[in-house]
Amino acid sequence: MTLAMIRALALLALAAFILLPFAQAVILSFTATLPREGLAEGSLGLMNYQAVLAAPELRAAMVNSAVYVVLNVALCIAVGLPAAYALARFRFVGDRHFLLAMLVFRVTPPVVLSLPIFILFSHLGLVNSPVGIALVHCLFNLPVAIWILESFIRAVPPELDETAFLDGHSGPAFFFRHLIPAIAPGIGVAAFFCFVFSWVEVVFARILTVTAGKPITMAITAMFGFQTDIGMVMAMTCLSLVPGVAMIWLVRNHIARGFTLRA
Amino acid sequence: MRPYDNRAWFLLLPALLLMGVVGALPMLAVINYGFHDIFTLGDLHWVGLEWFEDILRSDRFLASLGRSLLFSGLALAIQVPLGIGVALLLLRYGRRAVWGLMLCALPLVVPWNMIPMLWLGLIDPRSGLLGPGLAAIGFDWKFTAWHTWALILTVDTWHWLGLVVVLAYAGLSAVPPAFLQAARIDGASAWAIFRHIQLPRIAGALAIVFLLRFVDSFMIYTEAFTINAGGPGDATRFLSIELGEEIKGFSYGQAAARATLYFLIVLAVVWAFVIATRRPEA
Repeated sequence: MTLAMIRALALLALAAFILLPFAQAVILSFTATLPREGLAEGSLGLMNYQAVLAAPELRAAMVNSAVYVVLNVALCIAVGLPAAYALARFRFVGDRHFLLAMLVFRVTPPVVLSLPIFILFSHLGLVNSPVGIALVHCLFNLPVAIWILESFIRAVPPELDETAFLDGHSGPAFFFRHLIPAIAPGIGVAAFFCFVFSWVEVVFARILTVTAGKPITMAITAMFGFQTDIGMVMAMTCLSLVPGVAMIWLVRNHIARGFTLRA
Repeated sequence: MRPYDNRAWFLLLPALLLMGVVGALPMLAVINYGFHDIFTLGDLHWVGLEWFEDILRSDRFLASLGRSLLFSGLALAIQVPLGIGVALLLLRYGRRAVWGLMLCALPLVVPWNMIPMLWLGLIDPRSGLLGPGLAAIGFDWKFTAWHTWALILTVDTWHWLGLVVVLAYAGLSAVPPAFLQAARIDGASAWAIFRHIQLPRIAGALAIVFLLRFVDSFMIYTEAFTINAGGPGDATRFLSIELGEEIKGFSYGQAAARATLYFLIVLAVVWAFVIATRRPEA
């Protein structure tokens, strides 16, 4: 009994630790933190959310972020799936070196590559464009996608491939009709991690958006100034959490399954 | 055993092409810039190893390297045991553990530049939920070095604990329940079960955790810079903050040389990681 209570208390402490900063943000987001016409400082209401939704640059930032994150997830899954299949089903010259290279790309600090990426992408005309950010976020997301997808494909018995090919399915038909349905939770988990890491990233998102295409993270930074409306900043932050929370909910039953890694 | 077939490389081609453009090419460019003095990109001067010598000989670099290593060491020492502990705790709750995992994953979806803002709001002495209490006990993160350290470590732990918990939980839930039952029947203590049954099973997942957490905390920038910009004094000047200063100051050649050095450090750690995790297989 006492042991169970200690455990419950520990969980409560953990929940408090994790939720406190969110509670602060939610409270501030419903508070008028700057005096505005007809509203005293400190009064409660939806005014910050109304102000956010009324600002065209903030609405545009949400769209920009959504576009490059969706592009990035699609790209990582489309490119990662064949690679993960190859690694899960075959041995070949340099397979371990490929995994090692992926690991190195994943752990390369973005700030190290920021300058040449900017120069390269301005030559390619990809600055200020969501496509540029979607591409560069593959640097750390593609390795993660390949790891997760590979471990899910490994869990599917190879007989699935063999019977599909015996039934006369071609390669692409096999991928779409058999493999993808069999590893759907894996694709969900991979998409979750790609989504999250792309959504919250700031280094590349900052340097690749000079004049236009500002993502949600940079729009929040731009709200800081001489007189910062911190309530509005927090309202924007709370809105920026919604897609991530929705993603957590979608993959909740599979989130801890994608990492049965072979080291 | 998986069949041996080199045609599998064709399936890797799209991934290789993509990583070549966004990873390998820029990396080669950084290494090249590191050997040049750059006024504008059309005006490069070869300076050889001069930048590298400057950086490696400067006391500031060594001091920052020491601080970054200490920070990573502390972050790992706190987050890895805590994360495993939370995962073990959640394991006892069966299917309801999903709620705990979702809770722990929440901080992962916060935009990085907002994480320090959330915490600064929380500890604001005037309006924060914890601010007045902390001010009353003399917590002063702006001017007391170890208070700044404590704050950055707390924020980093808050941010990344979820990743450790999820990965540790993934490894722990893969241990067959029969193993645990057998050990309990034999009268093994909880510690013995963890040490001899669970820990070996999650070694692979833990290795990944160590690597990811080491690299990310070693290069911590957004949190550290926003909270106190390396201060008070130089107390939280980490390696990444020095690099950020050089990029902002347009000394690109020197910044590139520094970036190359950081990359080499990271590479050395990955190498050590690969050696360490391969040994059991051989």
